Amino acid sequence: MECQISNPSPRGVFQAHAVKALAARTLRSYFESPTATVTLFVFYLLTGYLFAAPLFLVKIASLRGLIDFVPLLLAFLVPALTMGLLAEELKSGTFETLATLPLEDWDIVLGKYLGFAALHLVCIAGLIFYVLVLALCASPAGLDWGEMLGTLLGLALTGLAFGAIGIFTSSLGKNQVVAFVMAFLVCFVLFILGKTAGLLPGGLGSVVEYIGLDAHMDNLAKGVLDSRDLVYFASLVFTFLYLTVQRLQARRF
Amino acid sequence: MILAKNLTKRFGDRTVVDHINFDIPQGQVVGFLGPNGAGKTTTMRLLTAYLPADEGQAELAGLNVFNQPLAVRRRLGYLPEDNPLWEDLELTEALHFAGRLRGLTDDASRAARVRAVVKSCGLRREIGTKVGELSKGFRQRLGLAAAIIHDPEILILDEPTSGLDPNQVLEVRDLIYELRTHKTVLISTHILPEVTATCDRVIIINAGKIVADGTPADLAGDMADKNRLHVELKGPKDDIRRALAGLPGASQIVADEIEGSFIVESAAGADLREGVFRLAAHNDWPILSLRQERLSLEEIFRALTQNP
Repeated sequence: MECQISNPSPRGVFQAHAVKALAARTLRSYFESPTATVTLFVFYLLTGYLFAAPLFLVKIASLRGLIDFVPLLLAFLVPALTMGLLAEELKSGTFETLATLPLEDWDIVLGKYLGFAALHLVCIAGLIFYVLVLALCASPAGLDWGEMLGTLLGLALTGLAFGAIGIFTSSLGKNQVVAFVMAFLVCFVLFILGKTAGLLPGGLGSVVEYIGLDAHMDNLAKGVLDSRDLVYFASLVFTFLYLTVQRLQARRF
Repeated sequence: MILAKNLTKRFGDRTVVDHINFDIPQGQVVGFLGPNGAGKTTTMRLLTAYLPADEGQAELAGLNVFNQPLAVRRRLGYLPEDNPLWEDLELTEALHFAGRLRGLTDDASRAARVRAVVKSCGLRREIGTKVGELSKGFRQRLGLAAAIIHDPEILILDEPTSGLDPNQVLEVRDLIYELRTHKTVLISTHILPEVTATCDRVIIINAGKIVADGTPADLAGDMADKNRLHVELKGPKDDIRRALAGLPGASQIVADEIEGSFIVESAAGADLREGVFRLAAHNDWPILSLRQERLSLEEIFRALTQNP
């Protein structure tokens, strides 16, 4: 029987079919295990509280309450989602199967990462429900739409950056717990750096402020879409995905 | 079809694969033998471009493995050692997943290939079973099915029968035997009868170096330092012994374990069977048995791979 194989991409270009297959499998495996259910439950339980408390107790119709705490929640939940992405493949030996398919390491990393990203964006998209509640509870004219959409965008980008950190630590070895702890530490440092910037002298303070999450999240939460903030998150994602690919290539020597 | 030229791999200061050379033509099934740690798996990982070589070149289907790894892998089916599989997938899902990753994007043609490999690998009765629940024999079949899902020209199988019971070994051996008609196959294994049964040629590696390369019969001939012919004739034993000693080329006559039979030794490569037949016919001594002693693959393997 003739076997039809799709035209291969030229070298250096992603094998879209494989990236899509890996992303779909990663996303599906989240939902076939308790991982997605537990993560979504914890995420909405805590964000629901952070949203409802100011709304009903203090009568503030805003997502502002999410900005301070949800990045810390993501620093915990995202590494839990990413810790097995590559560590499990390395442990079970299926990484050798993947690595001897006609794929570049970038295809493998991107496929896995996009599978995670899809679940994360589903998580964040669920927060639109809170926006709808606010729109129903408060006068739409009195709502700051820029602030709300900026907050959602900031949380989405934070999770994507943490995911890139998580997939990198997952590539470091076969132990998922180590991958989780290391990713949590890096994410926590990014979370805490912005809060300590004010304590540091001038130039150093500015550098630490730029590296930390807070300044970028604050801008977005104000509804300010600044290219420097977008570059910050994009740099984090690209840098850690690049490091992941380098790590996978280094494993082969 | 599979070419290794001075292929070398070092891990630190340890040379695991040491300047090996071989050329496997299209359609040949080659058994790749060696003790544990001899460099079989590393060689296979070099040929699949999983590991980079420190020296030398490798070509598959005329393509340079290290410069064109993706093009090489498109023509290659590889079953890694220990047959790692995605345990949570159902059997046909695993094959569809392997097909998608291999670029079989068209649903209809991929489904046709899945049906074909399920049939050829005898997996039909396990459809619906999760990979993690399959027996070891069916796991090996699934690994093979996934390796041939894209109908590759070349198959590299690292210990495909490792850990199987004798019945499962026979099943997987039959499967490989069926594949041999279409593909160039390199199989590493510890099970030597499997090589004799399925392979056209044997390459033996020890401590990273190739120590033998040829058909099992050629290797037996090369390895033997003398020829030994077991002869049992019906007649007066002393006369028989004297007559055998007079055969042209016979160097020594030794009494065999069986009462009244002899071992006629001659130089390696000599064949005295015809002479024995004529001698027996001339003297009217019926031939009860006549057997040329050959080194078994086990004996060759032990002789070549036992480290001093």
